[in-house]
Amino acid sequence: MASISIRNLVKRYGSFTVIPDLNLEIADHEFVVFVGPSGCGKSTLLRIIAGLEPITSGDLYIGDKRVNGVQAAQRDIAMVFQDYALYPHMRVYDNMSFALELRGTPKAEIDARVKRAAALLHIEPYLDRKPKELSGGQRQRVAMGRAIVRNPKAFLFDEPLSNLDAKLRGQVRAEIKALSQELKTTMVFVTHDQIEAMTMADRIVVLQNGTIQQYDTPETVYERPANQFVAGFIGSPAMNFFPVEWREERAILSQGATVAPLDGEAASRLQRAGNAVLGIRPEHFAVATDAADGIAINVKLVEPLGSDTLIHFDLADVSAIARVDPALRPKLGDRLSLRPQPGKTHLFDAANGQVLR
Amino acid sequence: MTDAANTDRWIRWLNTVQLVLAGVLIMAPTVWMVLSSFKPSFEVTAYPPTLIFTPTLDNYVELTKTTPFLSYALNSLIVTVGSTALGLLFGIPAAFAVSWTRISWPAILTLAARMAPGTLFLLPWYVMFRQVGMIGSYTALILSHAVITLPIVIWVLLPSFDGIPRSVFEAAQVDGCSVTRILWRIALPLVASGVAVSAILAFVFSWNYFLFALVLSNGDTKTLIAAAFNFMGEGSTQWGALMAAATLIALPPLVLAALVQRWLVSGLTLGAVKG
Repeated sequence: MASISIRNLVKRYGSFTVIPDLNLEIADHEFVVFVGPSGCGKSTLLRIIAGLEPITSGDLYIGDKRVNGVQAAQRDIAMVFQDYALYPHMRVYDNMSFALELRGTPKAEIDARVKRAAALLHIEPYLDRKPKELSGGQRQRVAMGRAIVRNPKAFLFDEPLSNLDAKLRGQVRAEIKALSQELKTTMVFVTHDQIEAMTMADRIVVLQNGTIQQYDTPETVYERPANQFVAGFIGSPAMNFFPVEWREERAILSQGATVAPLDGEAASRLQRAGNAVLGIRPEHFAVATDAADGIAINVKLVEPLGSDTLIHFDLADVSAIARVDPALRPKLGDRLSLRPQPGKTHLFDAANGQVLR
Repeated sequence: MTDAANTDRWIRWLNTVQLVLAGVLIMAPTVWMVLSSFKPSFEVTAYPPTLIFTPTLDNYVELTKTTPFLSYALNSLIVTVGSTALGLLFGIPAAFAVSWTRISWPAILTLAARMAPGTLFLLPWYVMFRQVGMIGSYTALILSHAVITLPIVIWVLLPSFDGIPRSVFEAAQVDGCSVTRILWRIALPLVASGVAVSAILAFVFSWNYFLFALVLSNGDTKTLIAAAFNFMGEGSTQWGALMAAATLIALPPLVLAALVQRWLVSGLTLGAVKG
């Protein structure tokens, strides 16, 4: 078990810079999720920690040890790959015992550790099978078992759920979280799926273009996004953004003359900035009983999800979504009055996207 | 019957005709060689060729009586097995290194060496081997035949190694394997059929290679294929014995190929299909 510390890390491939300058501290026993769109550098960062990619400049510490030039084999880190990367010619048992065998662990101890991990992951019946005889979910468990038996300093997961179907993904997600609580080991998990990030992480690292946009707890990242990118990336459906400006002592949506429904504190922030981007999550709209109290919209599309209903509408030339009570069943073209819940609006700098405080 | 079904029938029929024609073209000389080896010597060169004849082993008996056939066969075996082993010894790590580093020029260099005419090497080798007193030695023949076997091993194994997902090697790295250990414990077992195919092809090509043995061997180390050349005398060629020799020379590669035919196909397509 160990902390991971990344200081002034730069990663370049030739003249192409993937990570310009990154600092990150992952505490011992912490479950940290790297999340971001494709090409944001999250997998590269994970592979750098694993020792599979060299560092261009900067420092990487695992525990107290600087590991910049240390081979992957010597880092005592276990990794679960996106395609599981099981050894196809070895039985499940041998896949799991291989690393211990390389370290010269006594046979009896190997056997005990493999069986303990197999019991934990419910794969005991498959120990004599080859990987090709297993389903995707079973292979995934074997890959985790291979990591667990080693009792490593840290676990690294590189999008391990992306090859599973939706139902299995939810199940394995819960299992990994339970496992992290049981093993109490530092875990770093890479995903592009913000639901995985929100449900599993102690802290989330939101990455874009190799730069950390926000590093905080899931609750904070959701409720107080640091900038417009984080606000748009975390949450599904994504946050709605409307250009807004302070005009005639009122907040007005920039396209058209609709008055933006801002509470006092947000209004004063906008007044100071002059113009901004107003962010409202779909779930933070409420249907106003009094038409004068909200913004009038025309229903463009209705998506009933069972648990709630998504209403698509256009406002000030922006396509937007509101998540409302499933009991409310508006029809196409119906006129509704929506108002954001108090204290749930976000204002971002129109120029650089940073949150206005 | 529909047009589509008619077209399908025509395509099947044309495929069969093509296969039969190709089969006849490829097999006819071989069949003629084998049949001739069992004909009495006066019938071998008869025109038109006789199809009905009383088979005899006289040509084989004459071959073993008049030439040290078995010792030539042993020479061939030593040179072929030696050069195949040498090809595997260096070709397996070389192919793995090329696949691992994705630096392909060394592999292309070996291919260029294989494509170049043998005569290009012959003169410098002859001078070099003569200077170190190795002309006529098995070592010289084995080393020269490695030019045949090494590129075959590298180029048959390269797609096999490339076909293994990179993450499997990376998992082994993270598990604690050095690169050498990854080759022996992970990569090699996964390309076992490719190794077998490359070994068989290297064996066959080395067994059949004529030029180097003709110049670099002596009376004691002459290989079968080089010795067979001597059966063609000036004006008095023993056609029956020559056919018997040719049949025996062709036998090991044919038997090998037939035995591992299924493996050969799967090994050659390994890497082309992910699975």
